[in-house]
This record gives sequence, structure tokens and C-alpha cells, in this order.
Amino acid sequence: MAELAIEAKQLVKKFPARPGTGDKGADANASPAPRRRFFAKKEPKAMFTAVNGVDLQIERGEIFGLLGPNGAGKSTTIRMLCTLLEPTSGTAQVNGFDIVKQANDVRRSLGTVLAGERSIYWKLTGRENLEYFAALYHIPAEIAKKRVEELIERMEIKDRSNELVEKYSTGMRQRIAIAKALLARPPILLLDEPTLGLDPQAARRVRELIAELKQEGHTILLTTHYMEEADQLSDRIGIIDTGKVIALDTPEGLKRRIDQQEIIRLELTGWHDDLADKLKSISGIENLTTRQQGEADLWEVNLHAQNSRLALPRIVESISGNGTRLVNMNIVKPSLEDVFIHLTGKALRD
Amino acid sequence: MQTSLTGSLGKPGFGSDLRALFTVMWREWVIFTRYPSWIIAMFIWPLIFPMLYILTARALAGPDGTGMAVFMATTGATDFIGYIVIGTTVWMWQNIVLWDVGFALRNEQMRGTLESNWLSPTWRFSYLLGHTGPQIVSMLMFITITAIEFGLLFGIQLNGSIWMILLMMLAAVPAIYGLGFAFASLVITVKEANAFVFLIRGLVMIFCGITFPVSLLPGWMQSIAKWLPQTYLINGMRSAAFSNAGIRELAPDLIPLLLFGTFWLVVGYFTFLWMERRARRTGAIGQY
Repeated sequence: MAELAIEAKQLVKKFPARPGTGDKGADANASPAPRRRFFAKKEPKAMFTAVNGVDLQIERGEIFGLLGPNGAGKSTTIRMLCTLLEPTSGTAQVNGFDIVKQANDVRRSLGTVLAGERSIYWKLTGRENLEYFAALYHIPAEIAKKRVEELIERMEIKDRSNELVEKYSTGMRQRIAIAKALLARPPILLLDEPTLGLDPQAARRVRELIAELKQEGHTILLTTHYMEEADQLSDRIGIIDTGKVIALDTPEGLKRRIDQQEIIRLELTGWHDDLADKLKSISGIENLTTRQQGEADLWEVNLHAQNSRLALPRIVESISGNGTRLVNMNIVKPSLEDVFIHLTGKALRD
Repeated sequence: MQTSLTGSLGKPGFGSDLRALFTVMWREWVIFTRYPSWIIAMFIWPLIFPMLYILTARALAGPDGTGMAVFMATTGATDFIGYIVIGTTVWMWQNIVLWDVGFALRNEQMRGTLESNWLSPTWRFSYLLGHTGPQIVSMLMFITITAIEFGLLFGIQLNGSIWMILLMMLAAVPAIYGLGFAFASLVITVKEANAFVFLIRGLVMIFCGITFPVSLLPGWMQSIAKWLPQTYLINGMRSAAFSNAGIRELAPDLIPLLLFGTFWLVVGYFTFLWMERRARRTGAIGQY
């Protein structure tokens, strides 16, 4: 069996539910605490379960994609693995070190890029940021100097490395954040939404970089909202929803799960909720998702059907009238996004 | 065949932690110097705050200044402006430390950089301690500018030794910054702590005698003043400045100041450890 870089067993993370926020996933049996009398016994706090028994086994040298909608538990899982959070229960090992008992060894083994572009100092230059973090990661000064230079070259920011980060584009800031994670040449990289908010060209460069890093021997745990990215980069993918890993396989393996299904993709104008109910009630339709195309009244509707030939006449019948106009219709092969919808009943960006 | 990486370039050890601490100080200093408005404030603030009290004292002394002689006799000061400036400088020192060191981690948290620091294997207290080094340097600049400005503009005359004044200030560093450490750790947890800053600086303003002798306060207020290290600092600095007091004469202020310093440093460090542990359970480090 291949050696494991990351192994998590039954990881659970619960937080006190914030009153009045309607935290999704708050445990049903924990009611909000009533107003307390001064000497009254303390009521147990309502808890919100962000991660609910996650098991992961990530092999050395692989890219593992963790996919899930907002609030599914991806970032909380990453935060536990990089020691920012302590699990409520369960255990995990990173590079053979326990995330609670050997937290500093775990930190030494990891390079982490957290979502968002504010993880570096905007009032320092790109070079100063890297020199600063090199010292925090205990890289000896003479090695750090060479390493910073090497990463500046690699990230293609040499011409602007002495400018303040506040003058950089989002893509450049993300490259500095990735360079920061690579400074100590850690064996494992945790990349939380590394292409979020980047323009297509910058995102493509980051994806190329991730592929190169795998070739250099890094193990990579990648979370992303972008299905194509996960499909293109990951050796294996875990789909996480409501704090649990609900499917784990290679991208091809996941797609095979709904090989028997067909996706009927409609483009129409004049979409309304009654139409969704009508379409869902058609025999053989298993799932339905919608997405508005830009700001115009043009909608993409994806229907998962066991047999499109049987369903099509009733679909066309349901659409006609009521101000709805069918613009286009296709029957397509299932993508990873369709697998996700099939498993979770919702689109990734819901 | 591709081989997987297993180790990193980092070399743990005391030396590496020390280098990281100095790098945090360097980062703070560089960022400080990149906000020119702070440097301008450093020249204006030392004048504005004491001026309020100096002008009030002049007005209350009457047109012929007779009230001032009474004030001098009560306080034992040879220079009323110097007397006020010492009190207000200590107040400003504590106030700036609470805002600056006290909000050091909170500001990093709001900037989004606290988590990326926390991800590294460095000794966590370095982030707070490292912030303090440049803060002490900027405070020394602030106090020096105060002394130069009042010396040049108002001709303050000191009878005592500048070294004894500096000794008193040095002895106050653990107490003032220890309170700052404890405060910084609490702010990460409670997020909003302006009310606490107002409370502390209000206590110092009223109980520590920044513009009057503590002996003029009612008995119960004097009892509270004894529990505030700033009382001993202000009294000791005035004794050193106006009575030419040496170490022996300063001991009644110096010893309590050092004891308070030890207490607040320990409280500050353990509050930080408590916060760090709690933040890992609750995720407070990443929460705005």
C-alpha cells in the first residue's frame, strides 16, 4: 500500500451556534439556551457541526481535490489539518505527525494557501514578504536568500519584486501567497481555493503551477469551487457535503457512477418556480438545477434523466406557454458537476 | 520515476526562533515607517495633550500667577510645566501601548495576516513580543521629542538626573507592556475592547495624579492608586526630575514598580497562552 501523506479518521468539528444567525447544521436536539437566572444551572450551548466524521487517506505525491458547496466543511477540514483548529473528536496525521500533539512538526511539513488575498503584508514588497516568512519557517538565512530569489523568478515577479504588494494585481498577490507556501519546500501543500477571484489567464497559470508542483513530488490537497479545475488536476476527488465525505474516487470513477444517466440541458427565457415543480414531477427526472446566464433573462436548466427519449415530450409540453420560450436544447454526457448534483442534489455554487 | 518530498528546508531551534523574533520586529518597523502620518503625529501629539493642562493651570493661577506658587509648594515641583508633562507623558505612554500593542494581534486579524503567521512553526509569543520592540523604540522617540519640544518652547528646568528618570521608565516597561500583552490576548477573544481602553486610561488619569499629587485625593482613592503601577512611575519620575533623588530615594517607587512588572508580565504571558489554546478550539484566530 502506498505511503500516506495525510490520514484523517472520523474528524469532527463543532462550534457553538451563534444565536440568531440560523447556523446551517445546528444540531436539532440542541435548542437555543433560554434566558438564564443568575444561580440557575448552565444550559448546554446549541452546537453547529461543521465537520461530521471526515475520513481521508491521501497518498504521497497525489493531488487530492476536495469539492463541496459553501459551508460543506472543506475549509474547516483544511484548518484542522494545518493546526489552526483543534478537532472536537477524531484524529489526523500529516506527514506522520499528529495534528494536536505534534502541531509544530505538522506546521513544518506544510505549505498552506488559505482562501483570500490578504494573507500577505500589503505594506511590504513581494520580496520582503518572502524574506519575512522564510524566517518564520526557520529557513537558515543563506538558504532563504537563494530560495526567495528562486521563487521570485519562478512566479515571474522579478521586475516588480521590490514594489509594495498593495500595487500588485490579485493574480500577483496569489503568486506571492503560493511562493510563501513553497518557501520551506514542504512535502505537503494545502491549497484552499487557490484560483478564487483570479482572471482566466492568472487562474490557468496557477493550475499549471499546481501540476508542476506535483511533478516535483509535492502532495497537494486542493479545495476548489471549480469542477473543471478539480477534474483537470486531481488524481482523486472527495465530495464533501454537510460535513461528511459522501463520495471519494478518481474523476473518471465518479463520472462512471452516473454513466446510465443523461443530462438534458435547456436554455430558455421566462423561467419561473412553477415550471421547476412541473419539470421535477415528470417521471424519470431525478434532479434539476438552474443557472441564470449573465444578467439577461436567459436560463440554463439541467435535468438528470434515466431516459431522455421518454422524458422529452413531457418536458417540451411543460415548457410551452406561460411566457416561457425554449431557446436551445441538448443532451450531453455527464460532467463532474453533474456527478456532484446527482450526489448532493445541488449545484456546487449553491 | 517521480519521488515524493518528505522533509522541509526549515531548521528548528532556539536560534531560528530568535531570528524569527527579530524578523517580526523588522517587519513592524518597516511597516511603521511606511505610514508617514504616524511620524507627523509624533511631533504634534506630545504638545497638544499637555497643553490642555498647562493652559488650564495658567488660567487658574490668576492674572498675577499667585496660584502657581501654591501649586509649587503643594507638589514640591520646581517647574509646573515639567510636573504636568511627566504625568501626561506617562498617561500617553500607557494609552498608546493599549491601542498599539493591545490591538497588535487584532489588527493582524482584521488585515487577514494573523492566520498566515499562525501557520508557521515559530514560537507564537514572538508575534506579540516582536511588535513590542519597535513600539518601545517609537515610544522612546516620542518621549525624546516631548522633552526637546518642551525644553525648547517652554524652557523646562530639571534639577535631577536624566539617568534616574530613564531608570524609572525602564523599570515600568514590564508593567506597562505586560498589561498590553494581557489586553492584546483578550481583544482577540472579545474583538471589541475600546471600553476597556477608556476604563484603564480613565483610571490612570484620575487615580495616578497625572497633573496633581496623589496625596490630594480622598483616602479611598489613594488606596486604589496604590494598586496602579503608573502611580509609582509618575511619582518616581517627578522625584528624579525635581528632587535629584538617587536609587535609594527612588526605591519606594522602584520596588513596587518591578513587582507590578513581574505580575503583569506573568499575567500577560499566561493570558496569551490561554487565548492561543482557546483560539484553536473556537477558530477565533480567523474570525473578524
